Amino acid sequence: MNTIIDFFKNSVKNYPDKIAVIFEKNEISYKQLDNLVNSLSNSLIHLEKASIVSIYLENSTDFVVSYLAILNAGMIAHLIPTNLRKEKIQKQLEISQSKLIITSKHLIDKINSINYNCKKIIFIESNFHQIQQNKLMKINNEHAYLIFTSGTTAEPKGVIITQSNTIFTTKNIIDVLKYDEFDVNVLPLPLTHSFGLGCLHASLFVGSTLILIKNATNTVNILKEIQQYNATTFAAVPLTLNKILKEHDDCSSYFKNLRLIITNSTSIPVKTVEKYRDILKNGFLATYYGLTEASRSTFMIFDKLGRETSVGKPYNDVMIKIQNESLNELETGQILIKGDNVIKNYWNNLEADKRIVDYWLQTGDLGHKDSEGYLYLDGRIDYVINVAGEKIIPDDIETVVKVLTDVEDVVAIGIKNEMYGEIIKLFVKKSVNSKITKFEILSQCIKNLESHKVPREIEFMDDFPKNEFGKIQRFKLK
Amino acid sequence: MDDVEIKKIFLQVFPDLEESEFNWKKKQNDYENWDSFSHLNLITLIEEKFNISISDDDVIELKSAEMILNFIERNK
Repeated sequence: MNTIIDFFKNSVKNYPDKIAVIFEKNEISYKQLDNLVNSLSNSLIHLEKASIVSIYLENSTDFVVSYLAILNAGMIAHLIPTNLRKEKIQKQLEISQSKLIITSKHLIDKINSINYNCKKIIFIESNFHQIQQNKLMKINNEHAYLIFTSGTTAEPKGVIITQSNTIFTTKNIIDVLKYDEFDVNVLPLPLTHSFGLGCLHASLFVGSTLILIKNATNTVNILKEIQQYNATTFAAVPLTLNKILKEHDDCSSYFKNLRLIITNSTSIPVKTVEKYRDILKNGFLATYYGLTEASRSTFMIFDKLGRETSVGKPYNDVMIKIQNESLNELETGQILIKGDNVIKNYWNNLEADKRIVDYWLQTGDLGHKDSEGYLYLDGRIDYVINVAGEKIIPDDIETVVKVLTDVEDVVAIGIKNEMYGEIIKLFVKKSVNSKITKFEILSQCIKNLESHKVPREIEFMDDFPKNEFGKIQRFKLK
Repeated sequence: MDDVEIKKIFLQVFPDLEESEFNWKKKQNDYENWDSFSHLNLITLIEEKFNISISDDDVIELKSAEMILNFIERNK
């Protein structure tokens, strides 16, 4: 079995009547899912092999069908987060040269308002009648999906993931976190992100059931779904886990059946780790460290006391190196990753490709190891801000604020926050005689930025700390 | 006119929200786009507009426009 579709079809064969996905109470079996996938992929067959087909959908069964249908038809799935602003979507479509966009009735207006010319189709669920796959279906063993991440500049980088990257990573997830066909997995994470998508792969590969949730904010609903379906695993970002603890005094009754809560590498407060260790009587909390470019590079299972701040160790031939002047991995340095989970190159981006040297990915993350090889994260080598797992380039925010004539200069930095990992603080130098208010600056940000990029704090300054060449010293503002 | 300002802030944070759809009692979970980030933006704007500071615990409790209005009136 060489492709994601091979694994999916294997589960269809082994568990045809088993529920594959539940979304908003609607259940769909593996066989029904396969019929929908065949139906949609038959209609994509006219496209050239390995064409880019974009998905602009929220979490839904439709998303799962579209994703699998694109792969089944031998195309590459380009996943667009629905919270992205129009200009960013346009940029992604231009870079990817997408041939077709699959979207919903609800989102088509936004897509139609973008100046990019390609075919758009609205997903309409067909019936569940048995539909055979077209025999002329193309097979694409190479690239599987394309996700854009923020670069260190405003230009987004396309991360192209191969079938073999995905299969290697998914097998690691299944091995370490012991997913099997009896699992019922609650997933309130966007499938357009590597974390959510990885959970979808694991669920489909082993033939388990996925409870897909659109909104991670509604913790009451998440807990209800966990309880109602006797979920065995639950994947969530630390922000959602913290929110559950703050909003529900006693959540242990909901988690009776859970054997695993998996979260990701944005900082998890030690208190949160300890509380979940207490709450989960029959299971454990686990985390991982990875980038879209190098998914699930380490795993950490918090099953015993100690190492609450670690993101764990690499698994199955993945290698992690700490690069610093002292050549001592116990001291902080840049994290480098090599392994079959790491991409070979970016999507048509020679500049970004320089980050991969001799198959070692330079992550831009700082970290160190302890004497037993456990990895700890120490921040960033650049000034990328990480708000609840969303990586943000300061330049994105600064450009929007600098447009205001009352602002002479502006610097955005990340400051530590227990709930969000980091929040954005803006330092603003006003123009002479400017009477601009913080409210006006915030309004400008809300109007022009994605919601996770809006600053939480603003401070006015007379001037910024600068070096002898006049360059702003951001580290001094931190 | 705190209520007018609060309504304006809601319409600013949720640009897709029609004025006629605004409802003081409608809760966070009833809004399609009221996620954790939008919530924080709402709170940040409220803090700046009314010159108040809202603690992390209170931030979580403020789940409707009405709750925000009551909070402001209590804390001004």
